[in-house]
Amino acid sequence: MGPLIPQEIITGQWDFVIALLIGGAFGFILESSGFSSSRNIAGVFYGYNFVVLRVFFTAMIVAMVGLLYFSYFGWIDLDLVFVLPTYLNSMLFGGFLMGLGFVIGGFCPGTSYTAVAIGKIDGIVFATGFLIGVFIFAEGFPFYEGFYTANDLGSITIGEMFGVSNELVAFLFVMMAIVAFYVTWLIEKRVRKNMTEYKFE
Amino acid sequence: MNKNYLVLAILMILLAVGLLLVPERQNYQQIEPEKLMWDITQTSRFVTVDQVAQMIIEGDPTLELIDIRPVADFETFSLTNAINIPLDSLMKPDYQDYLGIEDMNVVFYGNSDINADQAWVIAKRMGYNSIYVMQGGLNCWIRKIIQPVEPDESASQEEFDLYQFRKGACAFFTGTKVEAPDAGKTGIKVVKRKKGTAVAGGC
Amino acid sequence: MHVHELNPKKTVITMIIFVVVIIAGLLTIRSPRLKYALTPEQTVLLTASDDGGISPEKLELLLTGSTEKVEVIDIRNHYEFARGHIPGARNISAVELLENDNIKWLRILQEEGFTVVIYGKDQLQANGPWMVFRQIGFSNVTVLLGGYQYYLAYKDNKTQKYAPCKADFNYAEVAKASVADGEDNNQPAKKTTIVRRKKKGGAVAGGC
Repeated sequence: MGPLIPQEIITGQWDFVIALLIGGAFGFILESSGFSSSRNIAGVFYGYNFVVLRVFFTAMIVAMVGLLYFSYFGWIDLDLVFVLPTYLNSMLFGGFLMGLGFVIGGFCPGTSYTAVAIGKIDGIVFATGFLIGVFIFAEGFPFYEGFYTANDLGSITIGEMFGVSNELVAFLFVMMAIVAFYVTWLIEKRVRKNMTEYKFE
Repeated sequence: MNKNYLVLAILMILLAVGLLLVPERQNYQQIEPEKLMWDITQTSRFVTVDQVAQMIIEGDPTLELIDIRPVADFETFSLTNAINIPLDSLMKPDYQDYLGIEDMNVVFYGNSDINADQAWVIAKRMGYNSIYVMQGGLNCWIRKIIQPVEPDESASQEEFDLYQFRKGACAFFTGTKVEAPDAGKTGIKVVKRKKGTAVAGGC
Repeated sequence: MHVHELNPKKTVITMIIFVVVIIAGLLTIRSPRLKYALTPEQTVLLTASDDGGISPEKLELLLTGSTEKVEVIDIRNHYEFARGHIPGARNISAVELLENDNIKWLRILQEEGFTVVIYGKDQLQANGPWMVFRQIGFSNVTVLLGGYQYYLAYKDNKTQKYAPCKADFNYAEVAKASVADGEDNNQPAKKTTIVRRKKKGGAVAGGC
């Protein structure tokens, strides 16, 4: 059955409708997890609120395990699922840059739009800054194109890179996520005890 | 710690363990045995040496000839622009890349057609379409194209045309000089009734 | 904990839905009727080996010996069968042979140690079906070398040893008749660059 559009089960025009539905669901989950508050998001870096880590790791492990089971049932053809091509240098640098923006602004691009949706001023400022950054990036692309496309590993998965099966990677990731949940819970407890200026209900 | 968290964590761990234990699904895209058998009984997968010669002479860009004999045989002699995939290495990933290319017609050939047919069956099982087998293999190629036999007096005009074509092809491939063809056979033109066409006769 | 966090009812519901989906998937996996017992790689090895062919001489021995358990199957159509066939052969076409009853019969034959010989007009016709049966797991199926036409020639004693897949000529010599003028168009020198394309993915991914 595979991914629906590449296998032509439904036409390509459904692209935008599906994007709208998924985007709406995504925004709903983000908002109901409390991501429209920049305090929650920056809490990962200060140690008093790890909700970002918990929500995203949960999403990752559910999606990984679910996809691999679906592939086992024959409901999806994993060869047709898009895998982002890996440009090692630029991705490492981009990750670092985004982390920096995370801490300074207290939002990441998606959550800034959920903040805009509930009318927060800092969300609006962040979203505007984001668009300006995109414009600068696009216009200045010829200057750093070499850096951007350096070290192209192609569309490989972690399993392929280390020669293990995808199922093993998923299992290890689930283990790591559960351990991370427990550890961050402990850290939160410790840090919150020492913090007095932020009131937790 | 909320009890729900614990339950969820345990559920997730169980599912992940289940993922490890799940039997390895075959990664190939295969077609089922019944379909494979049905495809095998279709004789449209055979192409004659004449058709292959025609495609080479015309420079047909969609033709992809695959020689399934061992490397040594391939180096000694092969057809124009043929690719060598020895039969015992057919499933190697490097060679598999030659098979799935869009719009190319793959023709397997070997010394005779048995090995080429075996390669065809395996490739068909992997789901490739537009694959064919050259009937008779290189033995037939030599017998028909390089050493064409002049038909008897009583043969039909079609057979004479075919003979002329083969002589021309022979010249093309071996560089021999072609004798001025005697202008067909004069005289009686017996028009034979056309028989069924699924590629007639081997060698 | 934070009010934004865990709502017991919501989580139980989503948990149940997730598990139900997984279980439904496990239950509805189709097990196909005929499964391949050999991987394609093993099939390649099978073709490289000499196993699986049976010569007319050997077949005669098996048929005339009274203790040998052998079944001969003719996969040609009824008219050709009626015109002449190997004595004792059954006429079942290749596609029919995959039907349920025939598969059951073949399995019984395999358990009882019968050798099954398939033949067609020539070896080529029976080659494909033989491969399919071997791949499904019937290791007792063999193919008659040369097919019916070679069998007839053998019966009339006018045949030399059947050697399929051997070169009948020294190709290199024969094909280079006289390279007086005209280039020899048989050089594999000019290799067309074949663009290898692997299957590409579909939609474009987004960021977050």
